[in-house]
Amino acid sequence: MGEIGEREIVQLCGLSFNKETILMTWLAMAVVILISALATRNLKIVPTTWQNIVEMIVVWLHGQIDAMMGRRGRMLAPFIVSLFMFLLVSNWLGLIPHLASPTNDINTTLGLALLVICLVHVLGLYYKGMHYIAHFFQPFKIFILINLIEEIAKPITLAFRLFGNILAGEILIIVLLQLVPWWMPIPSVLWLMFSIFIGVVQAVVFTMLSSAYLSNVVKEEGHE
Amino acid sequence: MIDINATLLTQILNFLILVAILRWLAYKPVVGMLDARAKKIASDINKADEDKKAAAATLAKYQDELRSAQEKAQEIIERAEAMARDERAKSVADTKREIEQMKKNAAEEIEREKAQAVEQLKTEMVTLSMAAAGKIIGKNISAKDNESIIGDFINKLGKEKLGDLSC
Repeated sequence: MGEIGEREIVQLCGLSFNKETILMTWLAMAVVILISALATRNLKIVPTTWQNIVEMIVVWLHGQIDAMMGRRGRMLAPFIVSLFMFLLVSNWLGLIPHLASPTNDINTTLGLALLVICLVHVLGLYYKGMHYIAHFFQPFKIFILINLIEEIAKPITLAFRLFGNILAGEILIIVLLQLVPWWMPIPSVLWLMFSIFIGVVQAVVFTMLSSAYLSNVVKEEGHE
Repeated sequence: MIDINATLLTQILNFLILVAILRWLAYKPVVGMLDARAKKIASDINKADEDKKAAAATLAKYQDELRSAQEKAQEIIERAEAMARDERAKSVADTKREIEQMKKNAAEEIEREKAQAVEQLKTEMVTLSMAAAGKIIGKNISAKDNESIIGDFINKLGKEKLGDLSC
């Protein structure tokens, strides 16, 4: 990595792409797919160690989704679990030397946040129809302003929270490595450990907020 | 640092592909497995219940059969005992009849022997009497007179003396 925040840009069909971000995204995807494949191969009726863990996660996730969203939420389970795994692996990828987190790019985080918010609105319209639009105007028509700001703020906060945390973490790793002499690794190691923690926390926060937004539109009327 | 470009769309696409792959690769098999297990457990429980019912029915059937077999055995034993009793009574009666028959035969034999002995005695007595009479009278009377005299004597003798003769 050269200058912090400088990105190598590839031009393709008149569109610019951040090369490192996309390569790292593919790496993260490969890791996630590999882990999933290893964890879920050779499934048996009577489970063994790994299968037990995977099943525990799926059953727990189903329990959470059933409690938050009702039966209709089940179809979102793969989306939510993929989101969490992808974010976790992405956040941790930047902690490995010479690699970078895909989530240190606002394009990634904003893309995911917009995807979640679009999904929220599409599902809201699909399940509640005009009632969904009407609820932005309640209790008075003037509330549309506040609701609009809230809806716009959602993806921005989602995206910038993750982006800021991860980018700051990576910058600080570089800064610490350059500031502190090579025989004094303790601050860098401490920060690295803290970054592992931050990676988990940010993945959890992003996933939980996304599920909360989704649960608002997916859960049945009588469920509230 | 914050430059939004086509990478954003690429990332959305990438993530959607990842969701599709994970759904196909990991989520569906795991959920399928969970469902299959739930179904298997439910069917196993049902089967166990049915087996239990069938076992109870079989047990009841066997107990019934055992009871009826015992009853039949009891009946057979009773019949055999009755038969043995009849048989014994019959054989006792047969033996009694045989004994009676033998007694009767013996009595008849004795009677016959007695009659024979009396007859023999009479004949001998006639001969002796003839000899004695011949010697006493010293003359021979006609055979016809002889026989009638002796016959009378014998008959008298038979009535008076032989009548008391015990067998």
